[in-house]
This record gives sequence, structure tokens and C-alpha cells, in this order.
Amino acid sequence: MEAADISHHTSRRFNEDLESVRSKVLAMGGLVEEQLAGALNALIDGDSKLGQAVARNDHAVNAMEVSIDEECSRILATRAPAAGDLRMIVATIKTITDLERIGDECEKIAYIAARLANDERPADHYREVKHLGRITQTMVRDMLDAFARLDAELAITTARSDRMVDEEYEAIHRQCITFMMEDPRTIRRALDVMWVVRALERVGDHAKNVCEYVIYMVLGKDVRHTSLERVEQEIKSRNARP
Amino acid sequence: MSASLWWLMARVAVGLAAGMLLGLAFGHPATGVAVVLSVLLARQYLVLRRVQRWLRSDKGAHAPEADGDWGEVIVLIARLQRRKQYHKRRLMRLLRELRRSTAAIPDGVVVLNPQAEILWFNRTAARLLHLRSRTDVGLRIENLVRQPEFIRYLRGGDFAQGVVVSAALDAGLHLQIQLVPYGDGQSLMLVRDVTRQQRLEAMRKDFVANASHELRSPLTVIAGYLETLGQDPALEPGLAGPIAEMRRQSTRMTGIIEDLLSLSKLEASDGEAERKPIDMAAMIDLLRSDLVARIDPATTVQGAAQASERLLGDEAQIHSACANLLDNAAKYTPVGGTISMRWWVDGEGGHFSVQDSGIGIGAEHIPRLTERFYRVDPGRSRATGGSGLGLAIVKHVLQRHGATLAVSSTEGRGSLFSCHFPADRLVSAATAV
Repeated sequence: MEAADISHHTSRRFNEDLESVRSKVLAMGGLVEEQLAGALNALIDGDSKLGQAVARNDHAVNAMEVSIDEECSRILATRAPAAGDLRMIVATIKTITDLERIGDECEKIAYIAARLANDERPADHYREVKHLGRITQTMVRDMLDAFARLDAELAITTARSDRMVDEEYEAIHRQCITFMMEDPRTIRRALDVMWVVRALERVGDHAKNVCEYVIYMVLGKDVRHTSLERVEQEIKSRNARP
Repeated sequence: MSASLWWLMARVAVGLAAGMLLGLAFGHPATGVAVVLSVLLARQYLVLRRVQRWLRSDKGAHAPEADGDWGEVIVLIARLQRRKQYHKRRLMRLLRELRRSTAAIPDGVVVLNPQAEILWFNRTAARLLHLRSRTDVGLRIENLVRQPEFIRYLRGGDFAQGVVVSAALDAGLHLQIQLVPYGDGQSLMLVRDVTRQQRLEAMRKDFVANASHELRSPLTVIAGYLETLGQDPALEPGLAGPIAEMRRQSTRMTGIIEDLLSLSKLEASDGEAERKPIDMAAMIDLLRSDLVARIDPATTVQGAAQASERLLGDEAQIHSACANLLDNAAKYTPVGGTISMRWWVDGEGGHFSVQDSGIGIGAEHIPRLTERFYRVDPGRSRATGGSGLGLAIVKHVLQRHGATLAVSSTEGRGSLFSCHFPADRLVSAATAV
């Protein structure tokens, strides 16, 4: 299903409804991207004001989820979509839940950032967290791009980079434990940092989920709990077909 | 033409005569004529077929050879074709040049249709916005450029002022995006990398804030010593005057630095001001009693709150803005004049105004009044001891409250400064408590 494919409806209004839902999901995604960037910047720059602003702004993400949810229900009730359109609506309903959760994780990070801003920053300026943050930010951006372009291949590669997030998470985890054993005075901060990386790891998981919905929307295949390699082969064989 | 026509007619006549003679020999002159005519017709038909095949064939086929009028027709058609081809090639070349030059523009260009779907974009736009030419034509721009500020700008419909968005993943990249509507609801989206300007602007703000901060402590020391010196009974009488002047000037310098600091604080806090109910009647009373204590009693100061509605805003900032307006009025109103403050509410929102019977401001100065350190009359305003930043502070405070400043003035008769606050920043006194 290409973007142009949903232009075949006899009802122009229906078409516009679908497009507007898609745009709203992506606008919500844009807001979540900004929240994530803000939360990470608040932590790295030690900006408690920014952290508080991001935490306060989470309600905007929640409000968007509610409004998109209502619109999806309305479309389901009044238009009774079928096939690709139905898949799009179903995938949208699931996507906004995950986006909202990413928003919640950002709120968590922002709270911790606002609190940590009062302490002295560590010597490495959260280098590892910054790195992990970049990976998750890229994941979120690519996931939304895949949703916008209905690009199953990008969705697959993005879903796969969740492994990198998990590995980084493990590494920071181990590092924090080492710090705590070496110097018990760092325990408080190390625990906070653990919360942050845990939240980032969850962001990665949610981004992966959305990628799976994109694949479902494009290919009509439920790829949850199956290996990514098999899905990739599936896509290749589809593309090979004329 | 006529020569060839004669030649043709002569040939036909000779042919017909020969056919008739041959027919007469066999006793059927009419058949002879018919045979000759059909041969002539067949020849015409053959030429027509050749011309048809030539016209139908792709370009590059040679024009068929023919004599007489057919030959001329073929030459004319060929000429028409050549001319058409020439124009086509010229247009193509022009189009290619146009595309190449737009592609080479250092700014990003995206062409959007009325639904904000991408029709075309150049290489810079692709690089700055991460667009892919293969897949992204036909997609809505807001689906790919998702920054909330941009979506607000796109949906807001007011494109006069561009919007600056930051791309978190591209190392602090800042993009200025401007939409230029044209034609049938289409629009041109211009994207410019303003990272450097943003960085310079941030550096400038930091510099002003830091420099003011650093100047404050030495100035406090100087002012402190001047004060002690001024009160020293052993002071030589000739020095009293200069020291008093030095104290006045150091006070003024402190004022300028305080104003610079509050201005840079206002600049640093972007976004809307908070919404706490402010009792304007109480504020006007306070401002009035402050001013009356400072100025010549011959000057009348009036204050009237004609509405009980509370203004939702940042009390300290609103107070400093109103005080600045009042200070200005006091400075430029001669002794014995009148200064009046007013707070009222109507259908458009809340209004605070300060009217004076002072010297007034020339119309040419009004648009520039809120610029930093702008002086209507350099000699005079330095003498009155202003920092030159008062109205700049007022402007910034009002901006943060979504309000506007209007100035009207007649030279020699006085000025009216009014602040207009939007209705959504008002709340009735009952609900505010």
C-alpha cells in the first residue's frame, strides 16, 4: 500500500478523514520527539527549568491521544473501513498508545533531570546516557518516518536497532554497578541515572512496537513475537514479485 | 506558382490527348482518357501515401521526394516541424536551466499544493529536512517535518513571519522556515539554515547578561565610596559638587545595568508569562502614591481603575512595565501638568493607559521608541537620567503577555501610551479570589 493507494475512495471526505488522522498521529509523534529531546537536554545541560517545562507539557501528549482515539472510533463507527483502511485505523489506535507511553517515559526523565540539575554534574557529563539518548531519538524519528512513508523496510531496520538500545542499556547498567561499588557516595545519582536509562530502554521498546504496527499496516502481517529475519525475507520476496 | 500550374495543365492536357488518340486507334477514346486519368490519380495517391508514412514515422525519417505542388507541401510541412522542434528544444533547455538554478539555490525550496502535499523540492531541502525524492513527493509536509512549532505555523495561516525550528538529531541545527503562498493555494516553502545566527544571537544575549552582571560589583564599590566621601565633613568644599554629580551618575549607571539585566532575563524566558490574577486597582494606587512622593506637588497625578476584572499575568513584570510608562510620563511632563492612569475593560480585552500633558513625541519617532537606547532628543533625555531601556522592557513584558503597545502623541500637548491585553488574560474579581 503506497501513500497514493488510499486515494481510490469514491468518498473524498473519507479520504480526508484518513489523511487527517495520519497527520494527527504524526503531529503527536512530533510533540513526543520534542519532549524526548527536551528531557534529554534538561538532563545533559542540567537545566531544571526545562525539565519542569517538559514534565508539565506531558498533558498535551495525553490530550492528543484522547482526541485521536475519539476520531478513530468515529471513523470505525461511521465509515466501517475495510482492508488497508481498517488496518490503518487499527495500527493508529495501537500506535498512539505507544506514543503516549513514550511521552510518559519522557516525563519521568524530565522529572529526574529537574532534580539532578541541583546536584553537581558528573565528570563525564552523562556521555553514555547521551549516546543512548541519541540512539533512541534516532529510533523514534525513523519510526515516525516509516509511519509517514509507509516504509516497511525502514520499519524493520528501526525495529532491529532496538537491540543496540538493549546492549547500551546493559553496558550502562554494569557501569553504574561498578561506580556504586567503588564509591558509595555516587549511589544516589547512579540510581537516578539507572531510572533514566531504564526509561530510554522502554522508549526503544515502544518505538519497536510502532515499527511492528507499520509493518502490519503495510503488509497486513502481524509480526509481533516473530523473528525480524523472517519478516525481512517476506518483504524481500514481496518486492521481488513484479 | 503560375508557371508550375501551366506546366501541370500542359502535362495533363498532353497526357489526355495521347490517351484519347490511343483510344481512338482502338475505337474507345473515352476508355483511353479514363485509363490516363486513373494512372494520374494512382500517382497522386502514391505520393499521398508516402507523405502519410513520413508524417507518421518517428523523427529522423527523411522527407519523401516529390515534384510539383506535393514537393512544395512537403517542404512546408518539414519547415513547420523544424520550427516546432526548435521551440521545443529551447523550452526544454530553459526548463532545465530553471530547475538546475533552483536546485543550486543555497536555501531549501519545497513546492507544496493546497493540501500541503509535496510537489517538488531541491537538493538543499532534501538535505536539511531529510526528504527522499523517490518516496516523498505526494506526502504531506507536516508528516515529515513534525516539529510542533512548524505544524502550528502551517495550520495557523499567518505566514508573514517565518518560524525557526530546531532539529534535535542534527547537532543543534536550526532551520528558519517561511511559506510563500502563490497561485491557486500553492505555496513555496523556503528553508534556511540559521544555526550560526542563532548561536551568535545566543552569544550576544549571554554577553549582555554576563557583562552587566560583572559591571555591577565594581559599581557598587564605587557608589559606596562616593557615598562615604560625600558625607565626610573634612571634605574640601570645592569637591562637594563634583562628588554629588558622580553619585548621581553612578546611580544612573546602576539603573542602566539593572534594566539591562531585567531585559536579558525577559529575553531568556521565552514563551508565555504566567497567569496569576493581578489587582490592577491596587497596583494603580501603589504606582500613584510612589510617584506623588517623588515629584513636584504642583503636578497632578490621577489614577482610575474603571473595571474590577483582574489581569492574569506576572505581577512583577506588569508592575515594572507600568512603572516604566509612568516614569516616562513624569520625566517629560513639566511641573504643573497632569498625568493620568486608567484601567478599563471592553469587548476586545483589558486596557491600561498612561496619559500625560507633556512635551509630546514627533510622529517620526514613534515607531522606533521601543528600540534599545533610542533617543528622541539625545541632549534632553540624557539630562533626565533615563536608561534608554524602559520602553524596550515594556515591549518585552507586553509580548510575553500577548499584549500590544499603542502610542499616540501630539507635540507640545502630551502623549498617550496604552497597553492592550487580550480578553483571555482577564478574569472577573469574583473568580480570581
